[in-house]
Amino acid sequence: MIKAIADNIKGLYSLLVGLWVTGRYGLGPFPAWLHLLPPERGYPQLTTHYPRKTIPDENLITFRGPVELIPAEDDPTKSKCISCLMCVKACPSNCLTVLKGRNKAPIEWLHDFSLCSLCGTCVEACPAGALRFSHDIYLVTETRQELVRDLLARLRQKAGKARA
Amino acid sequence: MDINLLVVIKLLVSLTLIIVLVVANSVIMVWLERKMAGFIQRRPGPYEVGPHGIFQTIVDSVKLLTKQIILPGNCDRLLFFLGPILSIFPMFLMFLVIPFSPWLTGLKTELSLLLILAFAGFEGLAVLIGGWASNNKFSLIGAARAVSQTVAYEIPLILAFLAVAFQHGTLDLVAINAAQGAWPWQWNIVTQPLAFLIFLICMFGETNRAPFDLPEGESELTGGYHTEYSGMGFALYFLAEYTSMLLVSFLGTIFFLGGSEGPGGAGVWWTFLKTGGLMIFIIWVRWTYPRVRFDQLLNINWKWLLPLGLLNLWLTAAIMKVL
Repeated sequence: MIKAIADNIKGLYSLLVGLWVTGRYGLGPFPAWLHLLPPERGYPQLTTHYPRKTIPDENLITFRGPVELIPAEDDPTKSKCISCLMCVKACPSNCLTVLKGRNKAPIEWLHDFSLCSLCGTCVEACPAGALRFSHDIYLVTETRQELVRDLLARLRQKAGKARA
Repeated sequence: MDINLLVVIKLLVSLTLIIVLVVANSVIMVWLERKMAGFIQRRPGPYEVGPHGIFQTIVDSVKLLTKQIILPGNCDRLLFFLGPILSIFPMFLMFLVIPFSPWLTGLKTELSLLLILAFAGFEGLAVLIGGWASNNKFSLIGAARAVSQTVAYEIPLILAFLAVAFQHGTLDLVAINAAQGAWPWQWNIVTQPLAFLIFLICMFGETNRAPFDLPEGESELTGGYHTEYSGMGFALYFLAEYTSMLLVSFLGTIFFLGGSEGPGGAGVWWTFLKTGGLMIFIIWVRWTYPRVRFDQLLNINWKWLLPLGLLNLWLTAAIMKVL
């Protein structure tokens, strides 16, 4: 009986501790604005206010977006791809289309993002190390056709942008 | 009280003002709740509609007004529409006897506490009707939970109020308000700290607010008793929830926190200031504590609050007899 009462009083104290924590967070930056606390002691908001601010690129490296081709070392407009079609065979969703051209270089490299489940099996299967996850966060399209991404064209576009 | 034209006009005017108060309260409180939730979780909360999102709830209510009320299959049509209406109407009646200040009250009666407690039980019935008529297992479980919870938590709540009523020898809210002085040490919270603690806990159980919001428990019951409601049916239940919050805050203010009395002149501003403080406390608690389990909820009530309430009532009666 006495132990139960003591436990309940301890429980009430822990409730007060919880209120103290959320109360401090809830006041946020106000105490610092009102000069009640030094500015580094406040609790500013942690989210990024999207349309007004965007996340810096160095924070996007952990984002696993749709796959992209890695540029070759000597020529950034060319891919490392050797058109072995291992990725096409490995893909469980059948979302890759690779057409082999002359000298093992692909002439068409399509990725249907509407089917892709971002499993990464193609990245693992590639013997040439020509695939990786992109950090592309702007994925919205207006039609289903736009979801079929021409990765060779994207590679050339990116190389052109880097040169300029 | 003889019924004459003047009394009827006074009742109608006060009911209209009460409806304005109730709607304005929920518009402001929904915005404040979402904003406070955001701040506690260190994000901005509603931001896009108007400066700092102050018009968000107005836009939301317009959206709810334009939505279709979808009837679930095999539901009881009459009860389905009656549920939300029954949940909001007794609320207006209960506000009629609340003294916002000693003279500013819709209906002066010596049994105002009795009227409020009688109509407070109606809320459980309205939720039960809505949950039953929805013909949905989640709604029915939510409604059954709501009834067992509100019935359980009403008893310690009444015991806490009764202790104060014993102390002042009246059930009249105006008299209880007037019996307290201007300074905080003259308020009932000093003479009845245990009753105030019991009230503070029962307040959450009675209004179905977190951490005691099991009737709607999103994680297990999708939406509880209002799962099947859309449009204005849902909006009326929502309005009733925020109105019952406002009502218990007013009751707590009048019974324990001195009501309209306060340093620097008594008046309606003190009532609203203290009520707003209690409402903010309710929101603060909601975003702090996780939801309790149902057996824990009833154990708190029957094993702790009820014996403590009875003890407090007995002590108050004994002390009042001796003094």
